[in-house]
Amino acid sequence: MMNLSDPVARARLRTAAPSLLLVALVILIAAVTPGFGTPQTLLEVLADTATLYLLAAGQTFVTLIGGVDLSLQAVASLSSVVLAMLVARFGYGAFVAAVLVGTVFGLCSGFVHVRLRVPSFVATLATGGVMSGTALLLSDAHSIPIGENGREYLTVVTGNLLGVPHVIWLGAVVLLVGMVVQRYSAFGRYSMAIGAGEPAAWASGVRVERQKIICFVLAGTLAGLAGVVLAARMASGSPMLANELLLPSIAAVVVGGTAVTGGVGGIGRTMIGALIISVVRIGMIFVGVNIFAQQILFGTVLIFAVGITIDRSKILIVK
Amino acid sequence: MTAVLQGIQLSKSFVGIPALKAVDFELHPHEVVGLVGENGAGKSTLMRLVAGVQLPSSGTLLRDGVPLVLRSPREAADHGIAMVFQEQSLLLNLSVAENLFLGREQEFMRAGLINWRRLHEAARRQLAKVELDIDPATRTAELSFAARQMLELAKALSLEDRVAGELVILLDEPTSVLERHEVALLFARVRALKQRASFIFVSHRLDEVLALSDRIYVMKDGAVVAEMPTAEASLPKLHRLMVGREQHTEFYRESDQEAHGDAVVLQARGLTAEGHYRDVDFDLRRGEVLGIAGVIGSGREELVRTLFGFLAHTAGTLKVDGAEVRFAIPADAVAHGIGYIPRERRVEGLVLLLSLASNMTLANLGVVMRHGWIRRARERLLAADWMRKLSIRASGIDALCVSLSGGNQQKVVLAKWLTAGSRILILDHPTRGLDVGAKEEVYRLVRDLCRQGTSVVLTADSLEETIGLSHTVLVMRDGRVTARFEAGRGAKPAQVDLIEHMV
Repeated sequence: MMNLSDPVARARLRTAAPSLLLVALVILIAAVTPGFGTPQTLLEVLADTATLYLLAAGQTFVTLIGGVDLSLQAVASLSSVVLAMLVARFGYGAFVAAVLVGTVFGLCSGFVHVRLRVPSFVATLATGGVMSGTALLLSDAHSIPIGENGREYLTVVTGNLLGVPHVIWLGAVVLLVGMVVQRYSAFGRYSMAIGAGEPAAWASGVRVERQKIICFVLAGTLAGLAGVVLAARMASGSPMLANELLLPSIAAVVVGGTAVTGGVGGIGRTMIGALIISVVRIGMIFVGVNIFAQQILFGTVLIFAVGITIDRSKILIVK
Repeated sequence: MTAVLQGIQLSKSFVGIPALKAVDFELHPHEVVGLVGENGAGKSTLMRLVAGVQLPSSGTLLRDGVPLVLRSPREAADHGIAMVFQEQSLLLNLSVAENLFLGREQEFMRAGLINWRRLHEAARRQLAKVELDIDPATRTAELSFAARQMLELAKALSLEDRVAGELVILLDEPTSVLERHEVALLFARVRALKQRASFIFVSHRLDEVLALSDRIYVMKDGAVVAEMPTAEASLPKLHRLMVGREQHTEFYRESDQEAHGDAVVLQARGLTAEGHYRDVDFDLRRGEVLGIAGVIGSGREELVRTLFGFLAHTAGTLKVDGAEVRFAIPADAVAHGIGYIPRERRVEGLVLLLSLASNMTLANLGVVMRHGWIRRARERLLAADWMRKLSIRASGIDALCVSLSGGNQQKVVLAKWLTAGSRILILDHPTRGLDVGAKEEVYRLVRDLCRQGTSVVLTADSLEETIGLSHTVLVMRDGRVTARFEAGRGAKPAQVDLIEHMV
């Protein structure tokens, strides 16, 4: 039995809390509605989480340095429009272009935040507006269906490998690469240091500005990827396709146990966070919770999850 | 005559380290008491106890003969004790009137809304007490430093309306940011206000203490070492009492001090940062400790910040190994083999929430990387090695730096720069907040490093430390170098000679 008065044990429990919560939720929902526990449904849930996870993974890089990126849903929507417009003519090249759009806009956000010294909150709100506007102009404010000529290319996203959807493999690769980068690269170490104590990182000769820009570039790229996945699964692009995903992506980061103040957390935790959010959402539909009560329950679970994950007594000021 | 404020055997220790040892003091009605001592002598701690910022570990505080426990600045205010802070406590985005009555808006409320006319009238009355002729609606940011200091004083005096009896006002380094004529103005106000309040005046500037106080307490190492009427005090006498007579030469390992090399590793010629310091020349040689002495405002802190890229110089040249450099950011200085051990080691020295190992490699991750990836095993070996070599006491290399004591934290910072291969170390108040044992270890490490060819630029808390550790001492005053002393083994200059060029 763990001794809960021991701070180390408590910290360990807190780190494990999101995973335990996830398992408990799955068991609970599966117990009420047996259909939920089947491998088929669980794969569905994983595949459905992929887009949210990609956005949240990008958000994690920015959150770890103590920032926030409010433009990611706009990036994803724009990239979905770009894919839908180009895929018939350029085939796989359109996928690359759509992701690169995310990279470029991520770079812009990073530049505005770091070089012009605008808080990330405001900087990305502004760049997000620019991106939304661009997407609306390009698409003439309509959703763009991907026609027959483009459909064949979409299997790169919608197909299966060894009975597992491609998007799940994609999520797994991003998870693995992200974890390695965060644990074994200089960039990963520096972003941890910046989030936990920027003045000390700065005074140790870390090129803080460069590291921050890299974070935004990664976030933009992953959001571009999320847009591609979304467009391919829907077989259409739209300037508002990912609009509903911004807040859940931030929630996924926080529920997973990454501190919004930076320096603590990682992309692995965000995967758990994204799954918790998906499972609650989909689970409520399975169980048959009233559509209005769903929002109430969802909010309550979020508060509970964040409450048990982070030791708030150590945080002096909450803004 | 009952003292308006009296402390009996006041003591305070922080995690076992005594900062204040059984201090007795009295403040009589209509009196200005001066409090002098070096950094770390315990002045600020005593002030914090009296102002209710901290509780004493033991001892009693009496107000008009009645025992008193002050748990917060608010409780102190309720007893008519107010502090004029060293770092000004005004909120610059608020108006003068809002600052004066911050937290007391209730008194000006009608039906839940603030009556601005009454608030401004009351503010004008308070401002008149210090003869500050400004509109109460002025935003505080628009005031000069001197006017803000007066406003602080007015804020302290506004307690009169609420508290019966004579006020006690604590002036903690009120003159450090003021010009000479502004100081004169402040002093005139304090003298005029003696009829309605008693003052405790803390200052580094001894001439000011002599000019303003009626009586002077001298503190050293957390205790009061002398008390005298100002008539019996003089500059040399106060100096002698403050620094103590005995020279602990061995404390600084003077016998381990070796002659420095000849090669100049860092050179400044006409180095100037407009508004901070100008025309600074020095040569730092291999294995040399160059101490820089000077009071607050002498420009020495800014000079040191320039050497590490926090503050760019605006004129003159700086050379590392004969090549001219210009540091825009700290990373530039690190790239030239310079390391910085800051006084704020918990802010600028260490990332407290990262492990020892991560902190040690932060300035040079390259040593543990191969093919672009960190080799954790290599990093752990390196960290364990430093932990042993510097005898760092911690539960392990994975321990978070936040859990270490000050001395051990300082060693982790040092390990970071040793890992980075720094050949020039800037020690900015390296022993601040350390106990005697930890200080001695830092001195020993400095000697070891110099023997191995590292050069050091030092700004220390006390003159004793500056002189004890340095080969050469530069004295600064008002942004210029006013003197240069050789301080080789067995040929240390006297403190009074330095002070002469400091003030």
